[in-house]
Amino acid sequence: MAKSTEVILKVRDLKKKYGEKWAVKGISFDVYRGEVFGILGPNGAGKTTTLEMIETLREIDGGTAILDGVNVAEKPWDIRYLIGVQPQSPSFQDKTKLTELLQLFAAAYGAKAQTHKLLEEVNLLDKANSYVESLSGGQKQRFSIAAALVHNPKVFFLDEPTTGLDPQARRNLWELVQQVRDKGVTVIITTHYMDEAEVLCDRVAVMDKGKIVALDTPKNLIKNLLDKGFKKEQKVEQANLEDVFIDLTGKALRD
Amino acid sequence: MKKKMMTVLVFVKINTRRFFRDRLALFFTVIFPLIFLFIFGGLFGKQPTVSFKVGLINQSDSAFSQQFVSDMQKSKTFKVDNEVTDLATAQTKMNRGEIDATIILPTGFGDSKNGQYPSGQAQVIYTQNNEQAGSTLVQVLNAQFQAMNKQYVHADTPFTVTSKQLNEQGLTRFDYTFAGLLGFSIIGLGIFGPVNVFPELKKQGILRRLHTTPLRVWQYFMSTAFSQAIVGLLTMGVLFAVAITVFHLHVVGNWLELALFLAFGIITILGIGLAIGGWAKNERQAAPLANIVVFPMLFLSGTFFPRYVMPEWLQKLSAFLPLTPIIDGIRMIATEGKHLTQIGPQIGLVAIWFVIIYAIAFRVFRWE
Repeated sequence: MAKSTEVILKVRDLKKKYGEKWAVKGISFDVYRGEVFGILGPNGAGKTTTLEMIETLREIDGGTAILDGVNVAEKPWDIRYLIGVQPQSPSFQDKTKLTELLQLFAAAYGAKAQTHKLLEEVNLLDKANSYVESLSGGQKQRFSIAAALVHNPKVFFLDEPTTGLDPQARRNLWELVQQVRDKGVTVIITTHYMDEAEVLCDRVAVMDKGKIVALDTPKNLIKNLLDKGFKKEQKVEQANLEDVFIDLTGKALRD
Repeated sequence: MKKKMMTVLVFVKINTRRFFRDRLALFFTVIFPLIFLFIFGGLFGKQPTVSFKVGLINQSDSAFSQQFVSDMQKSKTFKVDNEVTDLATAQTKMNRGEIDATIILPTGFGDSKNGQYPSGQAQVIYTQNNEQAGSTLVQVLNAQFQAMNKQYVHADTPFTVTSKQLNEQGLTRFDYTFAGLLGFSIIGLGIFGPVNVFPELKKQGILRRLHTTPLRVWQYFMSTAFSQAIVGLLTMGVLFAVAITVFHLHVVGNWLELALFLAFGIITILGIGLAIGGWAKNERQAAPLANIVVFPMLFLSGTFFPRYVMPEWLQKLSAFLPLTPIIDGIRMIATEGKHLTQIGPQIGLVAIWFVIIYAIAFRVFRWE
């Protein structure tokens, strides 16, 4: 997929303060239309807060964020139509069928949902009439993606989507994210799994203590490190334990 | 605007459907008030006539006294406790309040003294705590004896008194109780429902997820209000059906006006639940506040006992609680047959509360 250089999200000097502490200390970055942009960092680095400010869930204490030409702080209600949000641990009201939940979400945008098409895309068509509480963790994540896309958003935010999933479910989710990207949706994802960032992201920003400490493609970041003369102590194996695990247990989804 | 209302309708449809899948919620909104209805219906149900629970000790073996005993046992005015055969049991039962008084027919009661007609003197025994029942019983017996006396001895009675019952049916205790019970059901549905549900929705981040969509608070409130009104009207339909068939509740008012007023009441009280549940971050914040708000209404608005039994100052004060005009209004429409135009003060007071409650609810609502 050819990446455009058209900026869909422009963040300048974005800041957030909790009490006396600055959680996000003035960060700037651009996200291009149609790419998968990763925000990496340890816990408490400010990844989620950054996302929540752009998602209009938290007030912006300083700086600006412009999404598809719309200023987030000035027109939060317009922003909501442009974005789809997958929160850290998705949960939905119980005793409601998957199709009904999709109808609810679509209705929130004043739209009608093509429930079966959406469920088919995330491989949950056979669960259409099940309640959400009967889904496994991986299924819930997949359903959550469908729910976030009911209104055809331009930008899709995922906050640590694979935390707590088994390797099969993780890989399946990566595929889904790539499918969403292939439809032309820009994806912004936070994670603290480096392998995930390496597989999925076209470019990544590394955050630490409320600041961006590096921003580039995963390849370039690795190259820069090697150029500095960095060497791993051990010789890199051609496979790792996860490859063994997948080889032994197969790629098929377990849910 | 049309689109925004469509959003509300979809939420109403799906969430109402969801409510009927929730057995626990169904129990608390439908079965719970029904249980209360049977309890209070049994306590305050319409009793056909006043009846005395009496012990009857017959020490005479005359034919007359035998007849008298069997008449008493058939009587609707008296309920004869057959376990009482001697004075000792009678005394214990009276002390416990199980019977109101004891009638003793002494030896020789009903014998024909001079071969003309039977005569005798019955004795009524009662305890201090039953003085009123005892003296009323004496009067009732006296009246019965006088009627009997007339059969044997003819005497002129210059002054007599007759009574006549007016056809108009006054309000019974049950009419008050039933309106109060509907009030109780409104509180359960409108306050305890959201107060339990909202903190849970927040804890799981469900409201937060909705917050990322363009859904407005007023749309969320409105859809909740409509769906609760539907559930509430159905519940109350069941309560009315049972009250009418089992407890002979006589509804004279217009059903449509009643339904409109009930829906208005439900939505107003729901505002309290939305305010508390919408404000609270978790159950620990919600529960105590809900209790503080609910208890005064539960005891002072006429839910469990009618307000007319309260001291006057308390009646004046409790008249302004939000639930009071709702309960009064329900009773006025249902059992007094008043129209909406005739209960202006009640509707006005509910409307004022509606504005206050929802102004607060919108202000304090938090999505997480």
